[in-house]
Amino acid sequence: MRVPVSWLRDYVAVDMPLPELADRLSISVAEVEGVLHRGVPNEDGNLGLFRVGRVVEAGKHPSADRLQLCQVDVGEGDVRQIVCGAWNFGAGAAVAVALPGAVLPDGRKLESTKLRGELSNGMILAEDEIELGVDHAGIMLLPDEWEPGTPLADKLALTEDILLVESTGNRPDLLSVYGIAREVAALYGLELAPPPGNDPTRSGGDKSLDLRVDDFDGCPRYVGRLFCDVAIGPSPAWLRTRLSDAGMRPITNVVDVTNYVMLALGNPLHAFDYATLAESRIVVRRAKKGEELRTLDGELRKLDPDDLLIADAKRSIALAGIMGGEETEITEATTDVLLEAANFDAYTIFRTSERLRLRTEGSNRWEKGVDPYLAPVAATMATELIVELAGARWVGHGDVQEQLPERTAIRYRPERADELIGIETSSEEQHALLRRLEFDVKDAEVIAPTWRARDVTREVDVVEEIARFRMDQVPFTYPLRREMFGRLTRNQRFQRRVEEFLSGVGFSEVYTASLVERDFDREALRLLEPISGELAVLRTTLLPSLVEAARRNAELGNERIDLFEIARVYLPSGGPLPTERIHVAGIAQGGFSRAKGVVEALAEALEFEAPFRAEPHALFHPSRSAATTGGAVGELHPSLLEGEWCGFELFVDELAAAAHEPVQFREIGAYPAVHQDIAVVVDAGVRAAELLAAARKAAGPDLREARFLSDYRDPPIPAGKKSIAFSLTFQSAERTLTDEDAAELRNRIVSALEQAFEARLRT
Amino acid sequence: MDWEKYESTALDSFADAGTREELTTAHTAALGRKSELKTALREVRDRRTGMTLNAIRVRLEEAFTAREGELERADLDERLSDDAFDVTVPGDEIPVGQLHPTTQVRRLIEDTFLGLGYEIRYDREVETVEYNFDKLAFEPTHPSRSPRATFFLDDDTVLRTETSPSQIHSMEGKPPPIYMVSIGRCYRRDAIDATHYPIFHQFEGLAVDRGLTLADLKGTLLHVMRALFGEDRRVRFRTHFFPFTEPSMEPDVSCGVCGGEGCRTCRYSGWLEMGGSGMVDSRVFQNVGLDPEQWSGFAFGVGIERVTQLRHGMAEIRPLWSPDLRALRQF
Repeated sequence: MRVPVSWLRDYVAVDMPLPELADRLSISVAEVEGVLHRGVPNEDGNLGLFRVGRVVEAGKHPSADRLQLCQVDVGEGDVRQIVCGAWNFGAGAAVAVALPGAVLPDGRKLESTKLRGELSNGMILAEDEIELGVDHAGIMLLPDEWEPGTPLADKLALTEDILLVESTGNRPDLLSVYGIAREVAALYGLELAPPPGNDPTRSGGDKSLDLRVDDFDGCPRYVGRLFCDVAIGPSPAWLRTRLSDAGMRPITNVVDVTNYVMLALGNPLHAFDYATLAESRIVVRRAKKGEELRTLDGELRKLDPDDLLIADAKRSIALAGIMGGEETEITEATTDVLLEAANFDAYTIFRTSERLRLRTEGSNRWEKGVDPYLAPVAATMATELIVELAGARWVGHGDVQEQLPERTAIRYRPERADELIGIETSSEEQHALLRRLEFDVKDAEVIAPTWRARDVTREVDVVEEIARFRMDQVPFTYPLRREMFGRLTRNQRFQRRVEEFLSGVGFSEVYTASLVERDFDREALRLLEPISGELAVLRTTLLPSLVEAARRNAELGNERIDLFEIARVYLPSGGPLPTERIHVAGIAQGGFSRAKGVVEALAEALEFEAPFRAEPHALFHPSRSAATTGGAVGELHPSLLEGEWCGFELFVDELAAAAHEPVQFREIGAYPAVHQDIAVVVDAGVRAAELLAAARKAAGPDLREARFLSDYRDPPIPAGKKSIAFSLTFQSAERTLTDEDAAELRNRIVSALEQAFEARLRT
Repeated sequence: MDWEKYESTALDSFADAGTREELTTAHTAALGRKSELKTALREVRDRRTGMTLNAIRVRLEEAFTAREGELERADLDERLSDDAFDVTVPGDEIPVGQLHPTTQVRRLIEDTFLGLGYEIRYDREVETVEYNFDKLAFEPTHPSRSPRATFFLDDDTVLRTETSPSQIHSMEGKPPPIYMVSIGRCYRRDAIDATHYPIFHQFEGLAVDRGLTLADLKGTLLHVMRALFGEDRRVRFRTHFFPFTEPSMEPDVSCGVCGGEGCRTCRYSGWLEMGGSGMVDSRVFQNVGLDPEQWSGFAFGVGIERVTQLRHGMAEIRPLWSPDLRALRQF
C-alpha cells in the first residue's frame, strides 16, 4: 500500500525523520519497501516559486501561430509576460505559475528565456509538469476565487513523500492509512486522532431503505445510505492528488469518495445509481445456477451458486465485495446514489475472486477479513464527503446485521512472553504496550480490538505483539543442547562421493528443470496448469535433459562437453504420490567405452564391482547399451546428437547400497608376481566378461588379476571370429611361483577356454 | 709440521678448485702418494699421531668427494641449461570438472548445520495438500493455496512450495529434541524472468526442544548468515506473518556490497532479505501431537539461489539454470 505522509499526518503527528520511521515500521509493523518523493523538490525555498496566477491578457504570439503570449498577475503588482503553448484558457483564468529559478520534479531549473523573440518570464503549468496528475491536454485551471500570488503549496499538494508499505495477509487493518497511523502512534507513544468523518444532518426526510440480506454467512452486515440531488463531476484537486499518490485513478467525485474512504479506513465501499435498481431494493444473496452478470470491466461473468451477489428485485447488480455491475454504475447522469458500506465474509469473497481470477482492491481486503464493526464508520466518513463534494442531500439510512461476533477474552500470562522471546518484559510494560494497541487488558485476560479479532485469538498471538515491539532488543543466544546427533546419512555421504568423483574426472555439474515437455513414460505425472508446454511433466529420467544441455553447449561452440546432474526423478507409483529417487546421470563426448570407463571407475571408487549386460535403452545405440548396478550406460543413439556421445544414469541409493565401506585392506603379498599375456581366438559372439570369468574359475586363487587388453577382429583373424587378449598376474600367498607353476596355471586357463568356448590360443 | 694448517689449506684448495682438473691437482697435492700427509702416514710410528693423521686424511677425502659431486652437478647443469626454454607456455591440459555453485552452497549450508549438530534431510518434492498446507496451518484463504501460485497435480497433490513439509515429516518421524535442516527443490508458479524461475532450492531449519526462545533463533541465524556471507555481517529481524510460525519474522543480513550504507543491490536499504523464520506455531505442534506447553521450537527457510547469487555477485538467477559451460566453469 502507498501511504502519502501528509495523509498519515491527518491522524498522527509524524515529525520524526522518515528513514527512521520507515525502519521502525519495517521491524515492528510491516515492511516499508521504500520512500518515494512525488512532486516538486521541497528544498531551498523552491516551493515559494510556485504561485497562483491570474491571466490578465492573452493573445497570439506575434511570430508563432501555436503559442500564446500572456500577461499574468502573480501578486507582484506588475504583471509578468509568459509564453504558453496551451490554448485551453484565456484572459481571466486562474492558473498555476512557476517563476524563474523554480526547480521542476524532473530536476529542470526554470529560467527567463526568449521564445521566438518574446520574453517568457515564467511558466504556466500543466498537471503532469508538477506531477499532480498525468493530464497534459492543456494547462491546469484553478478555481477562480484563488487569489493571485497565493503560494500554490498552500492550495495543492505540490510535494509528497509516499511510504511503500507491504503488509502481511494477517493484517487487513494495515491496508488503510488510519491503520498505519494507529501503529505509528503505538510505536512512538503518540496520540491518535479519532476515526475521520462525522455524520452531517440528514436533509429532506428519512427515507426507509429496502435492504435485505438473505445470507448472513456471506454478509454479516449491510449498511446502506441514500443520497439525492447528487452532482456527479470531477473531484477537487486535493482528492484527486491523494488518490493518485495512493496509486488509484481518480474517476468521479462519488466513486472517488468510495475509494478514498477505503484507503483511509480499509473498508471497501460501493455506490449504485439508485434509479436503476428494480423496485429500489437491495438483496444480498448467493447466485442462482446459470446466473450471469456483466461487471464494470465489461466482462460477462458466469456465476456459481457459491458466489455472493448484490441483487435488486429482479437481477444481480454486483459481485459482492469484488466488482460492481455495468448496469447500475454511477454515470454523469446519476442523481440518486445508494452507498453500500457492508461487511463480507473473507472465504466467500476469496473463493469467487479465485474462481473468476478477478482480484480488485476490494477483494484483496475482504479476503483477509475486514472488521465488521468498521462498516458504519466508513459509511459516516463517506457520507460527510459525498454531501460536501457532490452537493448531495443525505436522505436515507439502513443497517441490516445479524449478531456480530462477540469479542473473546484470551487468557494471558506475561511470563509466557518472556519464556518464548528470551528477554524479560515486565507485565506493566506488556500491558501498557497492549493498551497502546487498543487491546483491553484486565488481570489475566486480554481482549483484542475488533480489527485484530481474526488475527489475535490465542495467547501466543498476544506474545507476538510484545515480540514485534521489542524485536531489536532481543539478544542473540544459542539453544542449550542435551542431545547431539548431527551427521550425514550413508546415502548423503555417498551422494557427496559421487559428486566429488565425477567433478574430479572432469565432469561439470549442471542443474536442469525437473519439469519437461514430454517423458518416455506415458504415465509420468503431468501438471494441471503448467506455465508453459516446456515445463509440464515431472521427469522419470534425467538423461534427456542432459542431451538438451549437451546440444546447447555444442551450439554455443563450447568444447570438452562432459556434464552430470544429480536430481530427483518422479516415478509413477500407481498411488497418489510418485516414487521419488535421486539419480545421477552423465553425458560425455566419446563412445560406449568412455561412459563405461567412467561408471567402472566410479564403481571402483565406491569399492564395488559393477556387472554389465547388454540391454536396450530408448536413448542409446541399439547394441551399445548396457544395464549395470543402479541403472544403464550406453552410447547415445546417433539420431539424437551430432558426433559420438555417451551417457549413463544411475540410482544413487543403489550405488550406496552396493558400495563397501570401510575399505577392507588386502595384503600386498610377500612373494613375487609373474605376469603373462595371452590371446585367444573365439567366435565374435562370445563375451569378454565370460572369458575372464572362466579364466578366473580355472586358475583359482593364485590368479591375482586377469585384465582385458584388447578385442581384435581384422585379418588374419577370420570373419566371424575375434582375438581377445588378456594380461594375467599370478601370485601365491604361500610361496614363490616357479616358471613351471605359471605355465601350469596358464595351461589350465587355456584348456578351460578351449572347452567352454572352442577358443584357440593365438601364438 | 702444523697439520691443522695443512688440513685447512687443503680444504681451501678443494673449495677454490673451479674445474675437475684443478680439483685433481689439489687432490694430488694434498692427498697424492707423494704428498706430505701420505709420506708422513707411511713414516709414522706412534699410534696417537697415526690416528690424528688418518682422521685428517678421511676428512679431506670426504671433502674432496663432496666437492667433486658439486662440480659434476655444475657441469651437468651447464649442459642442460637452455635459455630458449619458455616457462610461460601453458602446461598440459588436465580435465577439470566442477560442482555447480548451488551444490557448493548446499554443502556449505550442510557443513554449517552439521557443525551445529543438525541432521540433514532430503524430502519428497511432490507433496499432499495436507503436508504442504493443512498441517502447516495455512488458512483456507491463503494465497499460496491458489493454482495461480502453486502447481497442482490434482486437487490433493502439489509440488511443494517450500521445504516446510519437512517440519511435519521430521516431527512425525521421531520425538523431540529435533534439530534438522531440509534441503531441496521447491516450486512456485512464477513467470520466468531475470530473478525468478519456477523451480528453486530452499533450506529449511527446524529446532524443537524444551525452552527454545526467539533469542535462540536470532543467534542461530546470525551464526548461519555469517558462515554463508562472512564474519562481519549483521543480522536484523523484521516482524512478518507465516501460517506455521508465531511470532514470525523475516531475517535480513547487512548488505555486503555497500556494507549497509545503501546501494543498488540492497535497494538502498542497507539490508538484504533472506527468507522467513519464527517460533513454531502451537497449531503446528497440535497437528503433530506435541504439547506446546512442553515443547517450543523455531523454524526458518531461506532460498539457496538467492544465497548463491549474493555470494557470487550474480545479478540474475538465469546462469544457475543454464547448462552453458562458460558460466559453470567459472566455479
